Amino acid sequence: MELILSMAVRNLGRNRRRTLLTALTVAIGVALLTIAMSFVGGVFWAALEKVSAMAGEVRVVTPRYAQRDQLMPLSENIPETAALEAAIRASDGVTAVYPHIAIGVTGAVGDDEIGERFGLLHGAPTEFYTERLDLDAHLQEGTMPSFGGEDWASVGARPKFPVYALVGRQFAEEVGAKAGTEVILTGQRQDGSPSGMRVLVAGVVDLGNSAQNRQLWVSLDAARWMTEIPAGATELMVFGEDWESAPELAASLRDEAALSGLDVRAWSERPPYDGLVGFAQVLHAIAGGVIVFITALGVLNTMFMSVLERTAEIGVMRAMGLRAWQSVVLFVVEAMAIATVGGAVGVLVGAPVSLYLGHQGIDFGAAVDKLPPTIPINTIVRPVLDWNVALMGVVLGYAMALVGGFLPAWRASQIQPVEAMRSRR
Amino acid sequence: MKLLLLALALAIPGIARAITVDDMLDHVDKNLTYDSRESSVRMTVVKSGTTKSYLMHSFGRGAEEMAMEYLEPARDKGTKMLKKNDELWMWLPSVEKTQKISGHMLRQGMMGSDMSYEDLMEQSTWRDAYTGTVVGEETLDGRKVWKVDLKAKDTTVSYPRRLIWVDQASYIPLKQELYALSGMLLKTWTMSDIRTVGDRQFAYKMVVEDKVQKNSRTEITFESVAFAVPLEEEVFSTRWLER
Repeated sequence: MELILSMAVRNLGRNRRRTLLTALTVAIGVALLTIAMSFVGGVFWAALEKVSAMAGEVRVVTPRYAQRDQLMPLSENIPETAALEAAIRASDGVTAVYPHIAIGVTGAVGDDEIGERFGLLHGAPTEFYTERLDLDAHLQEGTMPSFGGEDWASVGARPKFPVYALVGRQFAEEVGAKAGTEVILTGQRQDGSPSGMRVLVAGVVDLGNSAQNRQLWVSLDAARWMTEIPAGATELMVFGEDWESAPELAASLRDEAALSGLDVRAWSERPPYDGLVGFAQVLHAIAGGVIVFITALGVLNTMFMSVLERTAEIGVMRAMGLRAWQSVVLFVVEAMAIATVGGAVGVLVGAPVSLYLGHQGIDFGAAVDKLPPTIPINTIVRPVLDWNVALMGVVLGYAMALVGGFLPAWRASQIQPVEAMRSRR
Repeated sequence: MKLLLLALALAIPGIARAITVDDMLDHVDKNLTYDSRESSVRMTVVKSGTTKSYLMHSFGRGAEEMAMEYLEPARDKGTKMLKKNDELWMWLPSVEKTQKISGHMLRQGMMGSDMSYEDLMEQSTWRDAYTGTVVGEETLDGRKVWKVDLKAKDTTVSYPRRLIWVDQASYIPLKQELYALSGMLLKTWTMSDIRTVGDRQFAYKMVVEDKVQKNSRTEITFESVAFAVPLEEEVFSTRWLER
């Protein structure tokens, strides 16, 4: 075996130009793969992480709400959430629970007509806004309001105190609002009747994607008053240790007696997000598969040439006792050695490019606005390079060499010594 | 000869009922439209098992102008709506501001009911808006009715097709099925408790059901109604909304 390995290494130096060309093919393939994987990761995994924060890693709603959740039916709310929140908080693996109300509103400033400019109004505890959505970190202007403390129970037809709101940049631009502007919001109560509320824009946030930039955030109490759901919410958003293990957390919560009769699902188990993980994985696989295939063709070509050039030599070696499998190993080892060098170079080239693009960002501009508003993909996409991507680049580099090198190696193993020695080469 | 006279006598009511659809719609429009009207209306909305009741006072002048003030429940007291031609204005106590409703909002249910704001905005008479054919005669709630299939003359109306059951005695459409252009049944609308008010027939009770939403039903009962009443000009202005 040692002899075969040393022969393989020696063979690499016999035709340095071809070896270099093959290694370069692998290097380019691995570099492209690293960049492509980083890009897909940057687009999808970042969006999925954001989705899980935005929609709750696990969501608890009534079954009727779940059936029509695209319409966000306020009438299908959970009327009392306090006891449920306590029960969920006491469950293993739960780190936070937030009652949440989402309601479609139209906004107008001054004498503008209502019914033309739409936004999605959220009512939730401040911690959800700061710890999950990082709204305070995305303030473009104004300040993060101190939600809470108002006596909403005694509010009659209209609150006598200012109702603060954070407003997404796009919505603010559409209605012509900035920090300090009063915006009239018209939405609905849970019975479908119109409900209005004046809000004072405390700050404008830019979350980098049109889905979230068309939204508004007020205190949970304000949303409860507006929708006439005094002690309830349309959903409870539950968070665990990490967003990727949400399905396990959902499964354990479904066993909780307090949640029986409610719809408990991880973000990845419900539409429109349930297909996203699979879609991202398919994209990964397609990007990887195409690059591996093309690179493998290059390796295949050069390795076949190597086999053809060394037909006579292989014949002699076979006549001297080299077994068929040993000739396969000889060429595969050659390919693996090329893949090691090419893969390392590919990662060394691809990783800095990915890091640079991650730092600079790729601006997709208005094209992203055409995506569904429930999928928050940022306008500026930043490829994300992690060790898994780099490792995958190297592994797939070996795959390229193996796929490209095996067939020529097999061809070499089938050469009959007598015929090989007769050949001119 | 006697037999011939008897046959003619029996045939006369049948001849009298051989009415054209346009004539029929003229009679229906006469019942449904007015020069001026003042009424107190109770609207009960039943949705997903919950019931909410509203009391409104409304004023109308022709098909173009209508003003409405909500008196009950307490949280909606003071909510006002004003329709002027093809514009709809609303005053909500919670924002204390008059605002014009447009676009998507017009397709929403009025106060969460099965009647949309667009239903309120209908201005043209059925005779002007639809052409139709009598597809049969039936008995509905013990009353003889014509079943008429109406197709809109243009796309400006909310419902491109109406299937109506018109009471032969009062010319009130006792039942309507309202369809979308796609043929989907959107709503049913029934009228009952028909009384004579002045020289017209008037249905004191209506039930509207949104067939797209399940478990949704709106009952409208007129507690009082008066036609040809003098109305102040200010009622049909945005000043009235803010008063």
